[in-house]
Amino acid sequence: MIQAAAARIKKNYLNEKIGLLSWLLTTDHKRIAILYTFSITVFFFLGGFFALMMRLELLSPRNWLVSAGTYNKLFTMHGIIMVWFFLIPSIPSTLGNFLIPMMVGAKDVAFPKLNLVSWYIFMLGGCVTVYALFRGGVDTGWTFYTPFSTSYSTTYVVAAAVGIFIAGFSTILTALNFIATIHRMRAPGLTWFRLPMFIWSMYANSVVLVLNTPVLAITLLMIAVERIAKVGIFDPTLGGDPVLFQHMFWFYSHPAVYTMVLPAMAVISEIVPAFSRKPLFGYKAVAFSSIGIAVLGFLVWGHHMFVAGESTYSALVFSFLSYCVAVPSAIKVFNWTATIHRGSVSWDTPMLYAIGFIGLFTIGGVTGLFLAALGLDVHVHDTYFVIAHFHYIMVGGAVMAFLGGVHYWWPKISGKMYPEGLARLSALIVFLGFNLTFFPQFILGYLGMPRRYAAYPEEFQMLHVLSTAGATILGVGYVLPLCYLIWAWQYGKEAGPNPWRATGLEWKSSSPPPTHNFEVTPVVTAKQPYDYEAMKEELQLV
Amino acid sequence: MNEPTMSLKKYLLAWLGLLGLTLLTTLIAFVNLGVWSTVIQIGIATIMASIVAGFLMHALYEEKIIRIILAGGVIWFLIMITLTLADYASRGWLAFSHR
Amino acid sequence: MSELATLACREQFATPEQQRETATIGMWAFLATEIMMFGGLFTAYTVYRMSHPQGFEAGSADMNILLGSINTAILLTSSLMLAFAEHSAQAGNQRLLSFFLIATIVIGLVFLGIKFTEYYQHFQEHKAPGLWFEDSSPHASSIQMFFVFYFIMTGLHAVHMTVGLGILLVLLFRTFLGTFTAHYHTPIMFGGLYWHFVDIVWIFLYAIFYLPGLHK
Repeated sequence: MIQAAAARIKKNYLNEKIGLLSWLLTTDHKRIAILYTFSITVFFFLGGFFALMMRLELLSPRNWLVSAGTYNKLFTMHGIIMVWFFLIPSIPSTLGNFLIPMMVGAKDVAFPKLNLVSWYIFMLGGCVTVYALFRGGVDTGWTFYTPFSTSYSTTYVVAAAVGIFIAGFSTILTALNFIATIHRMRAPGLTWFRLPMFIWSMYANSVVLVLNTPVLAITLLMIAVERIAKVGIFDPTLGGDPVLFQHMFWFYSHPAVYTMVLPAMAVISEIVPAFSRKPLFGYKAVAFSSIGIAVLGFLVWGHHMFVAGESTYSALVFSFLSYCVAVPSAIKVFNWTATIHRGSVSWDTPMLYAIGFIGLFTIGGVTGLFLAALGLDVHVHDTYFVIAHFHYIMVGGAVMAFLGGVHYWWPKISGKMYPEGLARLSALIVFLGFNLTFFPQFILGYLGMPRRYAAYPEEFQMLHVLSTAGATILGVGYVLPLCYLIWAWQYGKEAGPNPWRATGLEWKSSSPPPTHNFEVTPVVTAKQPYDYEAMKEELQLV
Repeated sequence: MNEPTMSLKKYLLAWLGLLGLTLLTTLIAFVNLGVWSTVIQIGIATIMASIVAGFLMHALYEEKIIRIILAGGVIWFLIMITLTLADYASRGWLAFSHR
Repeated sequence: MSELATLACREQFATPEQQRETATIGMWAFLATEIMMFGGLFTAYTVYRMSHPQGFEAGSADMNILLGSINTAILLTSSLMLAFAEHSAQAGNQRLLSFFLIATIVIGLVFLGIKFTEYYQHFQEHKAPGLWFEDSSPHASSIQMFFVFYFIMTGLHAVHMTVGLGILLVLLFRTFLGTFTAHYHTPIMFGGLYWHFVDIVWIFLYAIFYLPGLHK
């Protein structure tokens, strides 16, 4: 019986070769995606642990768990690990790596060896950063603002900067790989406007990463030079200018926000049509809005510096441009909702996450407009309002989409179905826990609670306790999928090639896919992607 | 599209042009033209860079996408420097208007 | 399609032509990242040159223009040699290819030699910020800022030169192994692209570090 079942299992990328070395030396984009998934999961829970420690500390208005200095290190390491070792690589390196070659109908990415090398570079960067952590951490905040980071901080700034510098190269190499793959590896007949929206968004994302990451590298290099050689690049006492650091840092880091959310939008654009059984509304508008976000995202960085001594005229321009970037983001939200409208919606787990994303991203985006307004920003700058705003984008947006995407493609990746009821429950827990954690922070910030403090006036305690309670619920919501997805890998039901009856080339291959993705190179003849009408007829015929 | 090939003559001419421009920009730098000195130096350097990119790196003979990527890099650098300098250049304006 | 060309194509590509095009896009996108990397330094340099105009001119006046301009000519010549090497590779002439590669490497080493002579001179004149910097002029801190950028930018350029020399040595070794033919020589072309790009960076470094103080 068991032997008969084993004989039925087809050769796929998971069982074609076995052993640890076959994983560590693989050039298969799907296996590299799994390696990345493993790494970023570790980093996610490490970063999450720091967040939980912070939330516990904030239960009481006085320092009770950690000292103020340790608290500074906690929020710094939380930020560094979550931004560079989870959010930025999360969707591109895992789902992107797995799906981009499959969606364009290629056997692999353009440069498979480079793909593996970039995972090793990522791990090296991660190890250096964790080394900095174990030597005592960093207390500058993830933004490394000068002159504190260069002249005053006595913590391991250089080690952390080097770790991020190294990880940046991994990001660049992955992005180069995707750009080359999307340009030249598409299957016959797969023109630009027949591509799934996932590819468009990931393409825009890769372009942003290629253009902004080098600036971060050079900025961190200057910080390291200033600390090591004791010269005054950003030190005002030696003729330097700390605001220049902010310019260069945010030239990188503002577009970096879009590199966290563009891949999330990529995932949502796949899930929404599949579970509404309708083509994506306004395909071209959504496609070009990705490019629009990528371009406009580079023109708005000054809105982080409204109170940092930036010229008023410059601030006016940056404020205006920040409003402009809301337009392509809104186009996406409207088009997703229009896709759902009058669709035959099924409420499977990925769709729950997608709906959650749309709502939370909208809240995050609209509060972003508050912050882009010159006058209001002065009031809420560096308060919990900002914290709540960007967590709505990054946790409510990017992490929800990541979880949605993992659930949507898990049957393809592992070949197994997860327990649907449990998955729906945990999606609900994540949504509730998230809102309970971060909505009170909007109010806290509006009332004037500044960020990055370990102690606070007693009147804020109620809201902080609510937030901490939410964080523990959120933690449960994150641990649950980890458990049942691993369980499903071994014990889940067979998924079959296309459990969601979705369009897209990745579903044409078996689950899990064979090592070279397709038995024969697919030829695309459908005039448009997401052709669910044609699919309906096909299914009725069957 | 096939790989672009260039004649040795074009390479040589590009090289001679580059050496000539180096000499020219160095000679002009001996004269103090105020702010124009910088403009001329950067201008000539840009011409030289275009010669290297266009001929030695045969960007002129490559596909359109290559030129788009190159232009993208240059334009994004210009975005960074322009918006940064715009801040520094307009710092004093408000104080000036109050005087 | 010749048999050799088929051999040179990796499994994820349908044709060698597709492989070359894909790799070319990857290479140029990489060069775009290099533009942004040096671009960040150019931006910082420009901001400080605007806020410390006299110091930057005074610092530039300390440059050795003779060595600087000779080095510029040398680097441009190395690029010409490498262009000839690319041409020989396309023609499938392995002897000429290795000759021009060696010429490029030698000229590149001469460039680095002259560059380090200059560094040594600056050090002797106590113009090495962080290590040994002395200046009695009223613009001392601005001059120091000039030298900080001079060392970071030319230093990063020298690092790129060193990496480029390493790449050229590997290419030379592979040429001796007979890897490159008229059908397959993409690595030579990419080595060339990288080297020429480093050349472009130097053209700008020459303009912003050596020329501003020349009229003094």
